[in-house]
Amino acid sequence: MKKIFYIFYKDFSSELRMRFALNALIMFVVVAVSTILFSLGSESVAPNVYAGMFWVVVFFSAMSGLSRVFVSEEERGTTLILSLIANPVTVFLGKFLFNLVLIFFINSVIALLYMFLFQEFLIQNWNSFLLAYVLGNFGISASSTIIAAIISKANVKGTLYPVLAFPVLLPLILMLIEITKSAMEGNPISDVEAELLVLISYDVVMITASILVFDIIWRD
Amino acid sequence: MKARYYIGGTIILVFLGLLFYNFTRTNIEYESDFVKVMQTGKTCKATGVWVKEKSFQEDIQNRTFVFYLRDANNNEMKVIYRGTKPNNFEIATNVVVTGKFENGVFHATDVLTKCPSKYEGQNVNTSGS
Repeated sequence: MKKIFYIFYKDFSSELRMRFALNALIMFVVVAVSTILFSLGSESVAPNVYAGMFWVVVFFSAMSGLSRVFVSEEERGTTLILSLIANPVTVFLGKFLFNLVLIFFINSVIALLYMFLFQEFLIQNWNSFLLAYVLGNFGISASSTIIAAIISKANVKGTLYPVLAFPVLLPLILMLIEITKSAMEGNPISDVEAELLVLISYDVVMITASILVFDIIWRD
Repeated sequence: MKARYYIGGTIILVFLGLLFYNFTRTNIEYESDFVKVMQTGKTCKATGVWVKEKSFQEDIQNRTFVFYLRDANNNEMKVIYRGTKPNNFEIATNVVVTGKFENGVFHATDVLTKCPSKYEGQNVNTSGS
């Protein structure tokens, strides 16, 4: 249990020193959001378009930053040492925790930017939006961690990552867009009950499957 | 070691089932009974026939289009659609409206019209024209 936090802390402090993933993420978010802002101008857009654009930015920023956890180990050649120190489940949970913190941070930045820059991005039902936000972050970081582990051994890491992640994350993104749209329209939380249950089961399936499969990927 | 896979597998199977069950529920359902449409208060696709006797009002300034729909059991419902009148609305045999029933009116976000077939036999009296 303690080792999970050690692995998390190791990644966290090395990230603070280099800010490799963080800079890539923030640059991406700033570029994407300002492009949307300039192209929209003063036009008014339907809530589902805003919800879609919000999660598209989240998805691609996750794609550009979250693969670092395993790719950096591979590049520095520290994979072997890490596998000697801790057992696979611990390694996975430590990396998962780090990605979770990263995606929570970047998602908050995106949400705040959207709320500041777009007057029409008004969340009327905070309960359902926050639930979707938390569950969505868990799902994104679970699947992106396991996919990062898979691609870290491959030669073409950059392109393989979004290609593999897209089909896995698609149901999650669809549900998140639906809930965000409903939250912007101010519908009660009971309207999106089915979508929220899909999110919960997606998270549980992804986390358990990742823990089971990670053994095999890690020892390879 | 083996037990871990069994437990994990069961958890995955149970939640996968839950996931697919709820995933099918997220689709918007078709409803041909207006009494049910009025009771649920959820977003659905109501199918009915346009009530010609009550005609329709079109407000171009506010971009609203108001008309009445009737289902198979002769229940009538007022529909407000934010948009312009769809093509072929007058000759449509069936109208499908997507939206929600609120405060005695159906607020539609989408109107689909089903047009009579061009390829019907000569002696058949088309119901739409």
